[in-house]
Amino acid sequence: MKDQKFSSLLKKATESRLFLPILALAIILLFDALFIPNFFAIQVRNGDLYGRIIDIARNASTVMVLSLGMTLVIATGGIDLSVGAVMAIAASVAAIMMNPVIIGLELPPDLMKFINDPNFTYSPLWEVILVTLVVATICGVWNGLLVAYMRIQAMVATLILMIAGRGIAQLITNGVRIQIFYKPYAFIGQGWVLLPFSLYIVLFLYIITWLLTRKTAIGMFIESVGINARASFFSGINEKRIKMLVYTFCGFCAGVAGLIASSNIKTSDANNIGDTIELDAILSVVIGGTSMAGGRFSLLASLIGAIVMQAITTSMYALGVPAFALKAIKGLVVVFVILLYSEPIRVFIRKLTSRKEVRS
Amino acid sequence: MNTKLTQYINKNRQFIPITVTALLAVIAYAVGAMLYPSMRNPQVFFNIFRNNSYLLVSAVGMTLVVLTGGIDLSVSGMIALTSVVTAALLREDWNAWLVIILVLVMGMALGAIMGFFIAYLKAQPWIATLAGMWFTRGMCFFITDNAIAISNRTFDLISRTRIYIPIWMEISQAQSKAPPYISIPVVVSFVILIAGILIAKYTRFGRTIYAIGGNEGRNEQSARLMGLPVNKTKVLVYTLNGFCSALAGILFSIFVTSGHGLYANGLEMDAIASVVMGGTMLTGGSGYVLGTLFGVFILGLTQTLIQFNGSLSSWWTKIVIGLLTLIFIGVQSLILHRKGHRDRGKNLTGEALQQFKRRRFLKAAGISLAVLVIFSWMLYPKLNLGSQSSPTQVSIRCTWLPYRQEQAAELVAKGAVIVYERNGGPNCIDELYAIYPDGLIVGDLNYGESTIEKQITVEEVDLLLAGINDYGWFTDELYDTWHTPCGQCYGYYLTVVDGGIEKTVKGVDGGTDAPFLYWQIISLVKGVIPKFGVD
Repeated sequence: MKDQKFSSLLKKATESRLFLPILALAIILLFDALFIPNFFAIQVRNGDLYGRIIDIARNASTVMVLSLGMTLVIATGGIDLSVGAVMAIAASVAAIMMNPVIIGLELPPDLMKFINDPNFTYSPLWEVILVTLVVATICGVWNGLLVAYMRIQAMVATLILMIAGRGIAQLITNGVRIQIFYKPYAFIGQGWVLLPFSLYIVLFLYIITWLLTRKTAIGMFIESVGINARASFFSGINEKRIKMLVYTFCGFCAGVAGLIASSNIKTSDANNIGDTIELDAILSVVIGGTSMAGGRFSLLASLIGAIVMQAITTSMYALGVPAFALKAIKGLVVVFVILLYSEPIRVFIRKLTSRKEVRS
Repeated sequence: MNTKLTQYINKNRQFIPITVTALLAVIAYAVGAMLYPSMRNPQVFFNIFRNNSYLLVSAVGMTLVVLTGGIDLSVSGMIALTSVVTAALLREDWNAWLVIILVLVMGMALGAIMGFFIAYLKAQPWIATLAGMWFTRGMCFFITDNAIAISNRTFDLISRTRIYIPIWMEISQAQSKAPPYISIPVVVSFVILIAGILIAKYTRFGRTIYAIGGNEGRNEQSARLMGLPVNKTKVLVYTLNGFCSALAGILFSIFVTSGHGLYANGLEMDAIASVVMGGTMLTGGSGYVLGTLFGVFILGLTQTLIQFNGSLSSWWTKIVIGLLTLIFIGVQSLILHRKGHRDRGKNLTGEALQQFKRRRFLKAAGISLAVLVIFSWMLYPKLNLGSQSSPTQVSIRCTWLPYRQEQAAELVAKGAVIVYERNGGPNCIDELYAIYPDGLIVGDLNYGESTIEKQITVEEVDLLLAGINDYGWFTDELYDTWHTPCGQCYGYYLTVVDGGIEKTVKGVDGGTDAPFLYWQIISLVKGVIPKFGVD
C-alpha cells in the first residue's frame, strides 16, 4: 500500500514539468560538490552573502529575465531572435541619457567636469529607466506588428531587428562605447541587499508574469494560440492581440535585461552586450520543457533552465575551462537536450517504463 | 491589354522576387556610379565579388538548406574552425592540398552529423545547427587562443594570382588603364554557384529538395508519401552545406591569411539575408540559387556604397541590410498572401469591393510610406549627396603602413610610459602618440607630416596608468589579436610601461575578436590624447 503511494508520487514527480530541469540542475550541482572544493561555500561580507552559488544566480539573472518573455513567445508557437539586439539598443539609450557628452553633444561648461563623477547623471535615473524600457517595448511592438498583423513568420520577422538592431544601437551612441560612471545605475546589476539586487528584479518580474498568466485567462489564451491559432480564433480569442502582447512583453523583458547587463559592465557596448544571448534564452526555455511548437509553458521551469545553463558555465570556469572553449561544451549540452526530447528516445523511454508496469 | 499583362505576371509570379532583386542590384549600382565617379572603375565591380567570394559559397549552400525549409546557423562557426585548423596544420608544415581536402572532409562530416540529428532525431534545424555553431567555435579555442598567421607558398599563390578578364583587358589596354582582374576564390565561388544551380534544377536530389520544402514546410509529409527519400535528402543537404562552409572557410583564410576562432562572427546572418534577398522563401520550397548571387551582390554593394560615401559609418551596413531584408520579406509575404486576400474580397461586390480594395491599398501604401519616410529622415543628413568634393575612397583598401615598432621602442627608451599608435581607417592615417610621466603628450601623424603636443598633469597620467592597470593590462586577459584589418578598420598598437614592465598588445577594430577590456583601455587613452582632426 505504502509502496504504491510512493510509486504514484514518484510518477507524479517524474511527469511534472519541473522534473527534468531540476534533475539536470541537481546532477550539475552534485558534480560540482564532488569535483570542485568549496563550491557551496557562502561568505558574509558587510552583511551581504557572497559565494559561487550566488554568483550563478546573479550571472543568470539577465537570461532569466529574457527567458520569461521568451517562454510566452515560444508558447504561442513563435520565437524572438532579436532580444540580444534589443538589449544593446536599451543599453545604448540608457548610456546616452546619462552621459551624452561623449557623442559630442554640447553641455554647459559647468557640467562638463562632472562626467567622470560617480554622482553625476544628465537625466535622472527614473527617466533613464523609463525611457529605456519604453524604447525596448517599442521594439517589441514592432516585432509584434510584423508577426501578428503582417503575418510574417516569427523567425524571419525578428531576424530583421536582430540584424538591424545592433546597427541602430551603434547609431544611437555614434559607435562609441560609453562608459557609465553613475553609481546608483550600477546598483541595478551590481548592488546587493543581502542577495544581488538583480535577483529581486527577476523575482518581481516573475511574480507579475505569473499573476498575469495564471490568475487571469491570458495564460490559457497564449497556450491555446500556440496549440492551434486558427481554432482559438474561431473560439473567439483575438489571436493577433495575444501575439502582439507576448512580443511586446518580450521586448520589455529585453529592455530590463539590457539595463541589468549594461550596469553590470558599466558600459554600453553595442557589439557585445547580449551577443548570442537570444540562443541562451531560447535554450533555457527548451530545457524548461516548453515545446518549440508552442502550447503549454512553465515560467518557473524556464527560470530553472536559465540557472542550469549558468551553472554549467560557472562550474566549467571553476574547472579552468577557458571562456571561449566553453561554447563547445554548451554545444554538447544542446545535443544532449535534443536527444532527451527527441521522439525516438522518448518512445524508447516510454517502452521501458510501460514494460516495468506490466511486470509489476 | 491590362488583363493580358496581369495574366502574364500571374503566370510567372514565382519569378517576381528574383527579378526585383536583380533590378534593384542594377539600379543601385547605376545610382552609385552616378554619384561616385570612382565607382565607374570596373575593378570596383569585381572587387565586390573578390571581397565576398566566401559569402557567396556559403550562401549557395545555405540556399539549398533553406529550400528544404531548414536553416543552418553553424556556418560562421564552421568557417572559424576551418580557418583555425587550416592555419594550425599549415604551421606544422603539412601539404596545403592535403590540408584543404582534410578540412573539406571535416566540414562534410560535421554537416552530416547535424543532418542526422535533424532528419532522424527530428530536432529543430536551427537548434541542432546552433549546437554545431557553439561546438565548432568552442573547438577553435581548444586548438589555440591566438590568431595564427598563414605563410604557405600554395596559399600565397592562390591569394596573389590575378586572373584578367579577356575582353576587358583589351578595352583597358586601348584606354591605357590598369585592366580589372579577379582572384581564384572568385572563380571557385562561381563554380560552386553554377554547380548549385545545376543540382537544384536538373538532379533528382535537387527536385526532392524543392518537394520537401514546399507549402511552408508542410510538404514533407506529402514528399514522404510520394516515396521520396526525405531523410536521406535532408542529411545530404546539410552535408553539402558543411562542404560549402568548409570551402568558404578556406577562401576566408586565404582572404585574411590567418586563422582565429572569432572570425566571421555573424556571417550566417549575412548568408541568410542574402538568401532572402535573392528571393528564396525562408519557409522553403520556392526560390532560385541564381537569386542568391544577386543577394550577395546587393550585400556587397551596400558595403561598397557606404564606403564610397565616406561619411556613413560601418553600422549603416547592418541597418540597410536589415531594411532590405524587411522589404524582400514584405514582397514575399505579399505574393504568398495575395491569394488569400483575393478570396476574402471575392464575396464582396460593388461598393463594398471598392471600399475593400481601397482600404487594402491604403494600408499597404501607408506602411511602406511610413518606413520610407522614417528611413530617409534618418539617412538624409548623412547622404552627402551633392558634394563631389570628397573623393574619399578611390580604392577600397588603403595600403597598410607597417607598425612603427622601432620608433615606439625609441620612445619607450626616451622614457614614455604609454606609446599608442593607430593605423588605417578610411583615410589611411598613421598616428603615433607618446605619453611621458611628467604629463607631456606628443603626437605624430604620418611619419612627421604634422605633430601635436599637449600637457596634462602628473596626476592625470597616474590616474590613466592606474586605470589601465585596473583593467588588467599586465594579466593574460589582454592578448594580441592581430590580423590584417578590413579596408575601413583601424589597427591599434598600445605599449604600456609601468613599474619597469613593458607590454605591447595589438588589435584590430571591426572584428570582435579582441578582448573586450582592450577597447576599454584604448578608449581611456583616446580620452586624454589630443586629436589631429583627421579620421
